[in-house]
Amino acid sequence: MKPSPLRPPPPSDIPADPWRYLLFVARSHTGLVALGFIGLSVSGTAWVLLPWAIAKVVDEVIAAQSAEPLLRWSIVLVLVAIASSWVFIAGYRALFLAESHARVRTVRNLTDHLNLAGTGVRGAVSPGEMVNLSTEDAHKTGSFIFQLGFGWMGVVMLGVGTGMLWNIAPALGGVILGGVLFIGFVVGPVLSRLQHHQIAYRASVATLTGQASDVVGGLRVLRGVGGEDQFSRRYRTASADLRDAGYGVARADSWVQGLRTSLPLALMAAITWVAARLAIAGEISVGELSAAFGMTALVAQHSGAMIGMAQAVIAAQVASRRLTAFFGTRSDIADTGTGRGAEGALRDPESALELEPGRLTVIVSAEAKPAEAAVERLARYRESGAEWGGTRLDALALDEVRERVLLLRDDYLFAQSLGETLRVDEAKALAAIEAACAADVHSSLGGNLDGEVTNGGRNLSGGQRQRLRLARALAADAEVLLAVEPTSAVDAHTENLIASRIGAARKGRTTAVVTASPLWLARADAVAWMVDGKVRAAGSHAELSKHAEYRSLTSRQESR
Amino acid sequence: MSDQTAGRLPVADRAAMFQAIKRLVLDDKAAFAGVVALYAAAAGAGAALPVMLGKVIDGIGGGWTASRVDLVCGVIVALVLVQLVLMRTGRRLGYRLGERAAARLRESFIDRVLRLPLGTVERAGTGDLATRTSGDVGAVAELLRKTGPEVAVSSIEAVVLVAAAFVVSPLLGVLFLVGVPTLILTSRRYLRLASPVFLSERAAMSEIAETLTASAAGAQTVAAYRMQTERGDAGYARASTHMERLRGIVRLQTWFFPSVDLTFLLPAVFVTVVGSLWYLEGWVTVGQVVAVAMLTLRLDGPVFRTTMALSEFQMGGAAMARVEGVHLMPDEVRDAVPDGAEVRLDDVTFGYGDGPDVLHRLSLHPKKGERLVVVGPSGAGKSTIARLVAGIDRPRSGSVTLGGVPVADVPLETVRRKVILVTQEHYVFTATLRENLNLAAPEAGDAALLDALATVDARWVADLPAGLDTMLGEEHHGLNLAEAQQLALARVILADPDVVILDEATAGIDPGSAGNVEASLAAALHGRTVIAIAHQLQAAESADRIAVVQEGRIAEEGTHAELLAAGGVYAALWTAWKGVAA
Repeated sequence: MKPSPLRPPPPSDIPADPWRYLLFVARSHTGLVALGFIGLSVSGTAWVLLPWAIAKVVDEVIAAQSAEPLLRWSIVLVLVAIASSWVFIAGYRALFLAESHARVRTVRNLTDHLNLAGTGVRGAVSPGEMVNLSTEDAHKTGSFIFQLGFGWMGVVMLGVGTGMLWNIAPALGGVILGGVLFIGFVVGPVLSRLQHHQIAYRASVATLTGQASDVVGGLRVLRGVGGEDQFSRRYRTASADLRDAGYGVARADSWVQGLRTSLPLALMAAITWVAARLAIAGEISVGELSAAFGMTALVAQHSGAMIGMAQAVIAAQVASRRLTAFFGTRSDIADTGTGRGAEGALRDPESALELEPGRLTVIVSAEAKPAEAAVERLARYRESGAEWGGTRLDALALDEVRERVLLLRDDYLFAQSLGETLRVDEAKALAAIEAACAADVHSSLGGNLDGEVTNGGRNLSGGQRQRLRLARALAADAEVLLAVEPTSAVDAHTENLIASRIGAARKGRTTAVVTASPLWLARADAVAWMVDGKVRAAGSHAELSKHAEYRSLTSRQESR
Repeated sequence: MSDQTAGRLPVADRAAMFQAIKRLVLDDKAAFAGVVALYAAAAGAGAALPVMLGKVIDGIGGGWTASRVDLVCGVIVALVLVQLVLMRTGRRLGYRLGERAAARLRESFIDRVLRLPLGTVERAGTGDLATRTSGDVGAVAELLRKTGPEVAVSSIEAVVLVAAAFVVSPLLGVLFLVGVPTLILTSRRYLRLASPVFLSERAAMSEIAETLTASAAGAQTVAAYRMQTERGDAGYARASTHMERLRGIVRLQTWFFPSVDLTFLLPAVFVTVVGSLWYLEGWVTVGQVVAVAMLTLRLDGPVFRTTMALSEFQMGGAAMARVEGVHLMPDEVRDAVPDGAEVRLDDVTFGYGDGPDVLHRLSLHPKKGERLVVVGPSGAGKSTIARLVAGIDRPRSGSVTLGGVPVADVPLETVRRKVILVTQEHYVFTATLRENLNLAAPEAGDAALLDALATVDARWVADLPAGLDTMLGEEHHGLNLAEAQQLALARVILADPDVVILDEATAGIDPGSAGNVEASLAAALHGRTVIAIAHQLQAAESADRIAVVQEGRIAEEGTHAELLAAGGVYAALWTAWKGVAA
């Protein structure tokens, strides 16, 4: 087997604090972030200057009553328009890329952490959670800096707008500043109330989708046994609940949407009123009146970004908290042992199971779980006092145990070619396929080792998956092979062939098989009979067959 | 109407989709018209603001008094309040309309799915149907309740703004439209390019999720085979691909966003500059120029929101086509009426899809009340026999009959009162234990349910926190393989059909209890015709009759003793099975 050097240990500098993690991923491309903030600041300023430039054209033309100043101010207007649009896209692009890099960074961190925590992630993260961590949560933590940029743009626009209007007339500056802050504080609370509804709504959506998937998953049962009406009724009830939850969201959301459009209008109305009084008093020009109107329109429109930012930052922190919690998981098997070169029998004190070196031991148990737990201890997938030739397994280096002891059960099949799955050269791979009677796997994947297996081996049947796992374990040619029910899904003829081929292929090596099949027992060098998680008796199959209880477990004749 | 190549589930074409959308609207047409009217009125009230500003400007030039200005500004404030009420009401009704449409759509989808011919679904692969159910139905609902109203509001607002410009001054109104040609050109190009770009980004994200989920699910395998490097490489590669796809999105937006900006920047400049010249000519007033210029600035929001939503619309449309596709599947005509429950396979040849024959002129006649065990190596065609008897598939030639008529012509509701197939693929519904059992017998009481569970040796029921009311399923109380199989067998006892087909139905039960389960099941099914399919032989010995299937043919038939004496295939299998070295 080719050596597989571990990637250098992943960066352990991943912060455990959610806020610091957000900054940590954002900092990976500081240049882009700076470019983005500068770009959005410039374009935010240009946006606000756009109505000012329009007003200048109007004012100058009216004052001069000639087209002469028009050219100059038209050029200014065009330049401002171009800046607002083109500089904006440059800033947007920079922040988008910074966000993308941050997302990629999180995915890499997750990849590294999965390797670092190893078997420690078993049970710590469900498949659904893993999907969320690597997509939604990675996105939200990445968009932290993006949203912050847009919030900042809103602040710049408000600042420039307030300054410009204050220059025209302090009252106008006061109205726009106060108005925008007021919008932020009025719409903000309503939004949070809406979010409440949306959480309930999302939960209902998930329930309903779950029910629908249930119908599809169990369609064969429903069509074969009945229950279509029952499920149709159940779905309609849940669907109506979701509709009603949607009505609840509509009640709150319609206020938010209404206020989002009306509050800027209200602010525009207020500024028009104040500015019109100033204009009629001759304190400002009509051009300045229209500039006040236009600036307010644009600034108020973008004040939404500030509210959006606050929400996004909170969501980013929540996502970051989930990620840092996952990064906090540690390996469940301590890698502190240093011993090497253990020899002799493998012994599990908890069950009194003992495997003599170089022999085929069959473990017979009425219940599969305790036997499986015992071999897990011997392969060190659970911490225990198990020993190898008198040395405790946890005193041995973990990579030594992993290299020399292989546990085979419902192992995972990854999306790889058949050859990559088997992890050996072609001759050895074909030999392993032969020994595991997996020729049909080989031929169903196109008859060569380049055929692709999909994740979880979903493009293979259950029986094919089992034999492919077996072939992979045989190809690894470990010194000790512990197998749990390796042939439960094959017919008697094939099982017989596999048992005899493995017996030959692993002659002289330590092999243990948890099964009650007589086909294996016939070839066993030793048999351990477990009851309630303890070895009750050990010996040859013939010796143990004297016990009636053992006989009823292993002899198919009396199984009924 | 549909694309039904290669056994795939059909997808609705444009015409069928248009029909579906029309139906959704017509079902609720009064509400639909009301919502459109409200949106238009609210947009009108909003567009009135710049128009009134123009009036005020001209009024100031024309010598209005301060109280006249106050009056007009008061009207403006009132307009804002009216706008709020109209917008809020319109939005609310719009959401409700969308919610109702989404509910109708998904309910009719599920009802249809529940009536789909099983053979068709399985030929297409349940994956396709599952994607439509979990992804597409939700996407269409989102389109109807959120994106739809959003686009309606924005596009109506854009139209009203244009109308307002023409009301202020038809001359300036023409200038208002100078950005329209670029908008049309760029959006067409964008629409053509956007969907694949966004879809490929989504796909890259799913690949990340799939790869990392696999690494997590296979953590122990990674440790056992020391695959850390390759799993690391796989994760990094997926991340890089995703980065590339994200770059694709931003490349697209880099030219598209500025092009959309032109839609209002061009008219803003034209109205201001050309409008000023026309003012000097005396064709328009200052107030009109300012009003229309301010209207152009208002155009930014609705145009941007509409164009952004267009690609979502496209993707939603694709989802809708898949959802509607299930309604295009032809129903099977099944109207035969069986007389009794005798099962016969005569001279049956069968193969899946365009594949080779799996069964070759096979005949099998299970007798009433008989326990027939079908054995043979994997891949011999045993499960195919089960599917044919259950009426899921039709033979290519020969006949499979139930009570004298082809079983595939008998309505499913009738078939399952007479024949039930239990396979090794069992399914536990996310529902209470009672609901899981009641599928088979809706009227059965608790005592009957518990009896059935006891018969299949389901002792775990006693440990359930809420007994029959315990919620089952992955998120609640997950069942292991053996428990799920016991549940499936309990259903058979409750359904009490005339013919039971057990296809490896006890394969996952612990060796210690498999014997018990089979024995008690045999007792419960006494008098029924039982066809038991096994690749293992534990059930064979006590069978009334054994049929050995090999390569799609019946190789041998007879009792255990007869077949052993014959010294053929079965005898060899049995010898292997008993572990006497072959």
